[in-house]
Amino acid sequence: MSKEWKERLHTYLPIIFLIVLVLLVGAYDPSFFSVGNFLTVTADTMTLFLMASGVTLVIMIGGIDLSIQAVASMASCILAAYLGRFGIWTIPLAVLGGAVAGLAGSLVSTRLRIPSFIATLAVSGVVLSAGYWFSDTRSINIPPDLSASYLSWAVGDTLGIPNEIWVGVVAMVVLSVLLQLTPFGRLIRGIGAQEQAVIASGINVDRIKIAAYVLSGTMAALAGVVMAARLGSGSPTLANEFLLPAIAAIIVGGTAITGGVGSVWRTFVGALIVQVVRIGMTFMGVSVFAQQIVFGVILVAAVAITLDRSKLLVVK
Amino acid sequence: MQTRKATSFSYLEQWRRWAPLAVLIALCILIGLFNPNFLSTGNFIRLLNSAAIPVVLCMGATFIILMGSIDLSVEGIVALTAVIVSLLVANDITTYKLGLFAVPVAMAIGGIMGLVNGVVHVKLKTPSFMTTLGIGFAGLGIATAILGGLTVRIADPTFRYLSLGRILGIPMAVWIALAAFLVALTIQQRTRIGAWIYAIGTDEVTARFAGIPVEKTRILVFALAGLFYGLGGVLAAAQFGQGHALIAQGRLFTTITAVVVGGTALSGGVGSVVNSIIGVFIVVVLANGMVLMGIEPYVQQGVQGLLIIAAVALALDRSRLSVVK
Repeated sequence: MSKEWKERLHTYLPIIFLIVLVLLVGAYDPSFFSVGNFLTVTADTMTLFLMASGVTLVIMIGGIDLSIQAVASMASCILAAYLGRFGIWTIPLAVLGGAVAGLAGSLVSTRLRIPSFIATLAVSGVVLSAGYWFSDTRSINIPPDLSASYLSWAVGDTLGIPNEIWVGVVAMVVLSVLLQLTPFGRLIRGIGAQEQAVIASGINVDRIKIAAYVLSGTMAALAGVVMAARLGSGSPTLANEFLLPAIAAIIVGGTAITGGVGSVWRTFVGALIVQVVRIGMTFMGVSVFAQQIVFGVILVAAVAITLDRSKLLVVK
Repeated sequence: MQTRKATSFSYLEQWRRWAPLAVLIALCILIGLFNPNFLSTGNFIRLLNSAAIPVVLCMGATFIILMGSIDLSVEGIVALTAVIVSLLVANDITTYKLGLFAVPVAMAIGGIMGLVNGVVHVKLKTPSFMTTLGIGFAGLGIATAILGGLTVRIADPTFRYLSLGRILGIPMAVWIALAAFLVALTIQQRTRIGAWIYAIGTDEVTARFAGIPVEKTRILVFALAGLFYGLGGVLAAAQFGQGHALIAQGRLFTTITAVVVGGTALSGGVGSVVNSIIGVFIVVVLANGMVLMGIEPYVQQGVQGLLIIAAVALALDRSRLSVVK
């Protein structure tokens, strides 16, 4: 009974935490409570959520993807540099770039049997160079007329709701269906929980892993595209400083770093928590510079709290 | 059959041990053929000078990687100590004028950051890459917050002598890096901690059964690495004559590339600080060679990424890994 209760608490803790945070910020500044403001906050959170949504799958198999910020930046560079030439096709091209980066990282990790954090760190170096190459080492502005004809799906309003939210919701539904209702999702959980058992049952584990990393790269690139559309420019350092909040969002949402447990809606809640914490700190006058300290501490604390230590024999 | 297998294995081991040095020599010959300026005394001293800070950082990181862990907080700790040391010597923001006494203070702060890494990693049992990622970002955040995003200029010639002064025509930074190397080599070869590091990296469970204080050693090694990063931060501040939060940008990548390319295995137990010296020179010579060949500087990080992959793929003893995460 008490164990069941504990598990239920673990499931809903992030949501309770989010509600408490919202109430706290609202008590400090009542104007925070308005439908318009909630929509703005959620829309602002979507790029972070998109970046974190794909990595959630990677963390669920017990790996990590440290290349997402470089991938998102590269996607923004591809979009900004080629939108004038290839039109609407630039968007799938930029997203494809992210998928290729994810594929490269996963092939290095699975075929050469290199730990994922070092494989994706190495690939991020290559991707960063590629971003500089695509953008010719500068920041590229997207002309407003091109943005209006090709990127309105990401920045306008539909039915009174910002389009970023629609993009985020579609991504969440697609990834959630993949995770909850397909064999692929079950295998992701299985690999995270007990990889040897999945190997022993004759599943091609590497193929599932590669798919997870490709999805991670794809979502990071999509986040880069939306980011570039919102800012009206692409640059090779656009998404710098997004890695830490993205991983923090996943962990704070309750996805375990040891793998096996997690879901995409948790990351959605986690991203909102990160955003509300950020707004709260800005209200309280904490400088933007100091906020990174808080996120670093939150990350370590959340890992320490959610870690299932019974699964760890040796911690390296 | 059994013997043949054993011989071919030891042959491969032999090759692995000397591969980094062979790569370094081949690189030097190739670049030297391409551009004779590479082999001039002036360029040699330039190489030594640009190797100084990476060598100091690698001395700390090598021990951690030898234990099979990783330290991603290099940039955070270097940035923090560089900013603090620049604020403690004569400068244009604060009124402190500690001169060279600021050096041990900065190193101690590096050591404390490393200690925090170690304590959190060991006591809370969080994986080292996660712990150091978080603490590293916190360090970077503190460095940025102290200066509010500004740059502090150093106005203390004695302090800058630590990097720019010359003895026998060789920059002070190189001598300091040499001293750091000798200290690290002594720790590795002549102390119990050195032996314990190898034992933990080879097989932590057995090491624990053998009575090695695994937890204490881990914490100590992370703190030790912090001291080296602190020294690296001091040298960076002395070299550029200023402190700001971005001073360490790219240092993490170079450090890990150098350690891994030198032949220290990420799985732990195999390698040494001597390997890391060779690794640093491979990275530095390659960077220098690319500049001489007129290759765009932004390509360097891509090349380093490929180097990491190639080196890890060649060096990793895959028989020990059943599951790769």
